[in-house]
Amino acid sequence: MGMRCILVLFVLLFLPLPSLFADELIEGYPHDEALRLGEQMYRHGILPSGKPMEALVMGDIPFDGRMFTCDDCHQRSGLGSEEGTVITWPTNGKELFAPRRRTGAYRPPAEGESPDGRRDLPRYYQVEDARPAYTEKSLARLLRVGIDPGGRRLDPIMPKYRLSRKNQAILTYYLRHLSSELSPGVDETTLYFATVITDNVAQESKTAMLSALQAHIDAHNSQSRHESKRAASGPFYKSEKHKAFRNLSLSVWELTGPEDTWREQLESFYAEQPVFALLGGITAGSWRVIHTFSEDHKIPSIFPITDQPKISDTDWYTLYYSKGLYQEGESVAKYVRSQFGMDGNVKIVQLLREGDSKASALSQGFNATWEEMGGAGVQELKFGADGSLSEQMWGEVFAGETPVLLLAWARESDRKLFKDIEAHGRDGVTVFASSSLLDNEFSVLTDTLREYTLVTYPRSLPGTEKRSRFSVERWFKARKIPLTDFDLQARMYFLGWMLPGAIKHMRSEFYRDYFLEGFDMMIDQDYGIAVYPRLTFGPGQRYASKGCYLVKLSPGPSGEMVPVNDWVTY
Amino acid sequence: MAKLNGITVIGVWTVALFFALADLALAAGKPMYKKTIEEYAVPDVTLLSQEGQEIELQSYLNTEKPVILDFIYGTCSTICPILSVSFSHFQRKLGEGKDGVRLVSISIDPDNDTPELMKEHLQKYGGQEGWDALTGKRENVIEVLKEFDSYVSNKMDHFPLTLLRGPGEDKWVRLYGLLSASDLMKEYELLVNK
Repeated sequence: MGMRCILVLFVLLFLPLPSLFADELIEGYPHDEALRLGEQMYRHGILPSGKPMEALVMGDIPFDGRMFTCDDCHQRSGLGSEEGTVITWPTNGKELFAPRRRTGAYRPPAEGESPDGRRDLPRYYQVEDARPAYTEKSLARLLRVGIDPGGRRLDPIMPKYRLSRKNQAILTYYLRHLSSELSPGVDETTLYFATVITDNVAQESKTAMLSALQAHIDAHNSQSRHESKRAASGPFYKSEKHKAFRNLSLSVWELTGPEDTWREQLESFYAEQPVFALLGGITAGSWRVIHTFSEDHKIPSIFPITDQPKISDTDWYTLYYSKGLYQEGESVAKYVRSQFGMDGNVKIVQLLREGDSKASALSQGFNATWEEMGGAGVQELKFGADGSLSEQMWGEVFAGETPVLLLAWARESDRKLFKDIEAHGRDGVTVFASSSLLDNEFSVLTDTLREYTLVTYPRSLPGTEKRSRFSVERWFKARKIPLTDFDLQARMYFLGWMLPGAIKHMRSEFYRDYFLEGFDMMIDQDYGIAVYPRLTFGPGQRYASKGCYLVKLSPGPSGEMVPVNDWVTY
Repeated sequence: MAKLNGITVIGVWTVALFFALADLALAAGKPMYKKTIEEYAVPDVTLLSQEGQEIELQSYLNTEKPVILDFIYGTCSTICPILSVSFSHFQRKLGEGKDGVRLVSISIDPDNDTPELMKEHLQKYGGQEGWDALTGKRENVIEVLKEFDSYVSNKMDHFPLTLLRGPGEDKWVRLYGLLSASDLMKEYELLVNK
């Protein structure tokens, strides 16, 4: 055999190897791309071609797949939902391609599993499958004609889709991988959480936040219902409930130094101990870096304490109490529309200090809302470090007879600014200020200024929250935790009040998306929260407080607040 | 006697078979919704249209056109999309005739559903002129819901409801359940051809 023959044999032998080792293609797409396209169908109703999916609902209503999507009912996790008299079964891979039993509590022993006396039920107690496992073929049939593998015709609320074989295969591939493995941050005994604290937070606030949060964790771990014992010896029909119990572990991730190093620090903490979700947390500045970290890793972040959240209509993983300062600016814009109209008969001037990020957040909230409503012509003036504006500028602000709306996004330390407003003002001027930026210190607003000043107040009015305040105070007293910052601790109390519901909602299905969906489905709250008149929830709603009062302060040191609008302004 | 018994048995089985077949036929054609006739006093409240305009509900509903009303919310993930798809399809089926009927969707989540979001909702479902999506003060919305016997303290417990009223009529047709396109068209035609 010559050298040439050996070479040919060598080539023939090894040429096919790369294709053997290459990733399996799904309808011509690599794994990641197939998942992306499947997700696009599941969550956005768009086919790989970019065209909308075509479907029929209620038997005879054709609709564009973008109008409502698979994840509307089956949810992003695929674990299903109960809403509006409709119970939607799970459609994630683990459930879809396994027999569905009438109760999730009983699961027959898996092949090779050692016998378990509690599972060996008499035949008459054994439940039958509600349906056999789906196959690719039976799933295609279901999507096409609405009949499941057990031969049952599904409720006509389940749409029937017109899908090509190729698109059907891509969607099936996605569903096989949807919530197929538990999320990181959970093991057989423990659910791991972390709370993030930045080093610009005062020690007192840090302690106040942590003490409340840890008290909730400790209460859960005390196993007041003997959950571990019940899981070991309870009857089979409660096994799912009791075996789902996990101790909670809370790590504290303290971020130090410049903001642009926080991401690296977060990654390092996460690499050391992957967590299921972030709970609470606090920063004196923006939550943007932590928000982005959560979004990138798909880690839920529940109710951080910040007045500068990231504002987004589409981001998913951080649930905030409110939009913070942005929401105050937003409410002023809506109030202005409701009282002064949009026809340009008023002059609007925003005053803010150069480089003040909190004042900028207020300004952005106003501007974005005003522009969305079709408004224009807002003037923005930056004042100096001492709160001063030149005489010429004041002259320009108050020139003419047009009513002036002065949005003074200033702090209590900007006394000169408020003095100058009073000195230069004239009839037809309305001043808006932020209670958050003033840190609820209103002495800069003289009795004269108060006559034409409205202050944003994004929380329950003093004296109206007595019942819920009492609950919070008793809870802290019973645990011997000093109540040093009611506003902050009441919010942490509420987080702990909501947490058990969201955890129980998951049962043993520890998926991060499912955890968040537990919050989405919560009833609107006005009892457990002492800081806001009410918090409202709903699928995809990520800012629970929707309102902000505008109040007029009465003269004198007591400065009673009289609201001039409803909690929610349109 | 034995012969008589045989005939009786055959007769009984025939009758039983007839009823069984009749049941099956009825089940097949049975509507999936419950229809009742109700009398409601429309509350004297002001709501907001998707354009942010104030709407006096009493005078707004006191129209010469037939009215079809439902309750929805913008981030609802199950029944509201179906209700809205149904309205959208109904408008398309009516074609030019859509101007002769007033479709109204009222938000049950007014804290979140701003007029801007209601407008987006209509756009998403291809709503045309003649279909308004209203929101408004929470207490006003609750008053409306209570008057139409559709209030639930938890919005997640809401139920599918379509209310129809013919021009000049006092009474409302209340349809509980989700409707097919033909169901809605049939009820609409019954209303206008009365």
